[in-house]
Amino acid sequence: MKKRTKLEVIRDFLLVLKGAEKTRITHLIYKANLSNNSIKPYLEELIKNGLIQNFNESEKRLFSITKKGCAFLEDFNKIRIFSESYGLG
Amino acid sequence: MSLEISLGNFYGIDSMLEIGIIIVSLIISYQSRKIYKLIQEKRYNFFAWAFLSVAISFVFKIISNLTIVHRFYIQNVNFVAVIAREFQEMQIIQFFSFILYKVLFITGLLTLFFITTKTEDKEKIFLYIYFGIIAIFLSIYVNFIFHLTVAIILLFLTEYFYHNYKKFKTRNSYLVFLAFLVITISQILFIFSDLNPFIYLLDEILLLSGFIIFLINQFLIKDEKKNKIRSHKRFFAGFKRR
Repeated sequence: MKKRTKLEVIRDFLLVLKGAEKTRITHLIYKANLSNNSIKPYLEELIKNGLIQNFNESEKRLFSITKKGCAFLEDFNKIRIFSESYGLG
Repeated sequence: MSLEISLGNFYGIDSMLEIGIIIVSLIISYQSRKIYKLIQEKRYNFFAWAFLSVAISFVFKIISNLTIVHRFYIQNVNFVAVIAREFQEMQIIQFFSFILYKVLFITGLLTLFFITTKTEDKEKIFLYIYFGIIAIFLSIYVNFIFHLTVAIILLFLTEYFYHNYKKFKTRNSYLVFLAFLVITISQILFIFSDLNPFIYLLDEILLLSGFIIFLINQFLIKDEKKNKIRSHKRFFAGFKRR
C-alpha cells in the first residue's frame, strides 16, 4: 500500500471529523488508519493550526472540525496539485 | 550639454518583461505561504521564501537596468561637476542593485535546490552558499560566471522536476518541468548575451515564457476547485465499502 503524504493524512483526518459531528480518539485512530502514538502529534498540530478543536463531554475527549478545517478540505485538491506539481508532496 | 540616459537595454522593454516575472513569483510565493499557514510544514515556508527572493531579485534587476547610462555627452563645461556627480551616483546604484539581484536570485534558486534535494546538513548548505558567494564575486569581473552558476543550479532543478513529472505524470507537473527547462535554456543563452544585444532580448523573452508557464499552472490549479465535491464523495464511498 502506498504511504500517505502528510497532506493526505490531514485530509483523511478532517474527512472523518466532517462526517461526524463529534468524534472520539479511538474512532479517529480506526478511521484515519493511524496508530495511537502517531496520531497525537497530528492532533496537537491540527488543534494548534485551528483546523480542529477538542472538548470534554461526559469525561470523554472529543474532537470536531472547525470552519478553517472545512476550508482546508474545500481547497484540498488545489493544495495537493500545487504540492505535486512543485514536488513538495 | 546633451545627456542621454537609456532606460536599460531596449529602452525598458526588458524591465516590462521582468515585471511579469515578479508578479508570477509573488503569486507562487503567496500560494505556498498560504499552505504553510494551514499545515505548518517548513518546506512550504522555504518554498515561499525562495520565490519571494526571486521576485525581489528582479525588482533590483529593474532598478539596475533603468540606471544604465549608455551615452553621456557634455558640451557645456559649467555643468561638468554636477553631471559627473549624478553620473557617479547612478553608477553606484546600478552596481549595487545588480549585485543584490544576483545575490537574491542565487539565494532563491539555492533554496529551491535545498528543498528539492532535501539537504538539511548545515555543512553542505554552508558550502553551497560559499560557492554561490564566490560565483557572485567573480561575476563582478566576468559576468558570464553568474549565468553559468545559475544555469548549473537550474539544470539540477530541471532534472528533479523531470523525475517529479515521471512520478506523477500529471499536466501540472509537466508544466512545472517545462517552465524550469525553458528558464534553464534562457540562462544558458544568457552566457552568450554579451556577444549580441538581441541574444539578451531573446533570453529575457524565454525567461518570461518560463514564468508564463508557471502562471498557466497556477490558473489550472485554481480551476481545480470544481473537482472537490467529487473527490470527497469518492473518499466516503471508500468508507462505506469497508
